[in-house]
Amino acid sequence: MNQVSMTSALSTGQTSVAGASITAQAITKTYGEGPAAFHALGPIDLDIKPGEFVSLIGPSGCGKSTTLLLASGLEPLSSGTLEVDGKPLTRPLSEVGIVFQDHLLLDFRTALDNVMLQQEIRGLDKAVIRERADMLFDRLGLKGAQKKYPRQLSGGMRQRVSIARALVHDPSMLLMDEPFGALDAITRTQIRHDLEMLWLETRKTVLFITHSIEEAVGLSDRVLVMSTSPGRIIEEIKIDLPRPRPAHLGEYPEFSAYAEKIYSIFAKLGVYKF
Amino acid sequence: MTQISMLRRVAEPALWFVGLLVVWEILVRGFAVPTFILPAPSQFLTQMVVDYQRLAQHGWATTQMILIGFVAGAVPGLILAYLIARFRLAEQILYPVVVFIQGLPKITLAPLLLVWFGFSDFPKILLTALITFFPVLVDAVTGFRSIDKRQYYLSRSMGASWWQTFSKFELPTAAPYIFSGFRITVVVAVTVVIVVEWLNSQTGLGYLVLRAMDSSNTPLLFAILFVGSMIGVALSACVTLAERLLLPWKQA
Ligand SMILES: Nc1ncnc2c1ncn2[C@@H]1O[C@H](COP(=O)(O)OP(=O)(O)OP(=O)(O)O)[C@@H](O)[C@H]1O
Ligand SMILES: [Mg+2]
Repeated sequence: MNQVSMTSALSTGQTSVAGASITAQAITKTYGEGPAAFHALGPIDLDIKPGEFVSLIGPSGCGKSTTLLLASGLEPLSSGTLEVDGKPLTRPLSEVGIVFQDHLLLDFRTALDNVMLQQEIRGLDKAVIRERADMLFDRLGLKGAQKKYPRQLSGGMRQRVSIARALVHDPSMLLMDEPFGALDAITRTQIRHDLEMLWLETRKTVLFITHSIEEAVGLSDRVLVMSTSPGRIIEEIKIDLPRPRPAHLGEYPEFSAYAEKIYSIFAKLGVYKF
Repeated sequence: MTQISMLRRVAEPALWFVGLLVVWEILVRGFAVPTFILPAPSQFLTQMVVDYQRLAQHGWATTQMILIGFVAGAVPGLILAYLIARFRLAEQILYPVVVFIQGLPKITLAPLLLVWFGFSDFPKILLTALITFFPVLVDAVTGFRSIDKRQYYLSRSMGASWWQTFSKFELPTAAPYIFSGFRITVVVAVTVVIVVEWLNSQTGLGYLVLRAMDSSNTPLLFAILFVGSMIGVALSACVTLAERLLLPWKQA
């Protein structure tokens, strides 16, 4: 992958909408009712400022995806209050790009048409969005995949298509659920950098869910560490590293200190059994 | 699909069919089977040429009834299927009724419909519609239910309207199921229309069957059978073709 400037690739450059803020107080989620009810999350508080890049990291099943669904208004809260840009969230956010944990591509649409769905449904200018889609395909290493159907793509490619779909309409907020999970280490490092450059330029608010300590530290202003299920936020770590951050984070001595800190929290939680 | 493999798919069954006719011809002639019991293919094929006009006229009348009845059954079937798959309340109210009516041996309604509606096309259309309705509905319910619920997260986060959700998410997901329902049902409809035409009609292949039996014209019976099955094959080929054109992702 060549190093083209992100300015042209990932943003239109015109709409420098400041990101939205997300404020949550004591939100919880219980799935189901009666004896089948399952307390999946919280209570947790969130205070994500406009343009901030926040990662959520925690053990599997602790409620990270649930947090994303609540923050996007796609699942109702069981209790607590949630505001986006100071207004209570009463219906699903739409000024948002979401990368779902399961890529959720439509198998009857080609890769390009899956991305262009944003344009069709939102009624955006076709030529503009198409140009952005092409640039994103290039940038994400999806050249030549435009006309392929999802089942003809590898797992990593599907995930990249779903990232393209989340970015193509230039939303003011990004919610990403383990977006790089199915990618190989090389592509992962590249896309991490690409995302950081995009974010530096447009300063959208990003809520980024990951299992990877390296990704969390490599990308975030703040890392929120969650406990085992039902997840709560047990630690908040401000990452004070200069940007853009290098491919090899080990260049920073502070990096290993941050990583160490998160490891030790997980170790205390009993996440690791050695 | 390449041209060659397309050709093979048509040519192979056609060759088998011709081979079958040849064996049939040889057997009938070899054992000197009387024509009124089993005519040789050459005899009913000749009959087809002789009776070309009547067969075409009545075949077309039957085809029209099939098409009208099919549409009259499939459209409400699809609409109800969507409601049942999508709304709990519709499911609770409608599904028991649907299951009950599905249990009825509907073809036995034919005489009753004649009593009610007399000599007209209406009983044919109604019965064909009734019989088309259920398999289409059942397959479409399965189709509409097959959508991954999380797709609604996606559609809602894009701010999709009801119509956008239906046309861009739900309908394409259900379409393969709907088409497979169509393909089977359209062939059943041929039989239904012919049976009702026995009871009540001045036109159609069913009516022609009665005429052939009156005059013990077994070759004509076989010719009618042949035309009837060609209608069935042609209609199901139309469904397959429509599916190919409308659902290109199934081929890729
Ligand atoms: N729709 C649902 N109905 C019932 N339970 C659910 C539902 N969705 C999630 N859960 C449960 O809630 C808990 C949290 O799920 P969630 O998907 O938020 O975890 P996660 O932190 O994203 O996990 P992972 O890292 O493995 O993706 C899990 O125990 C899960 O089984
Ligand atoms: Mg998850």
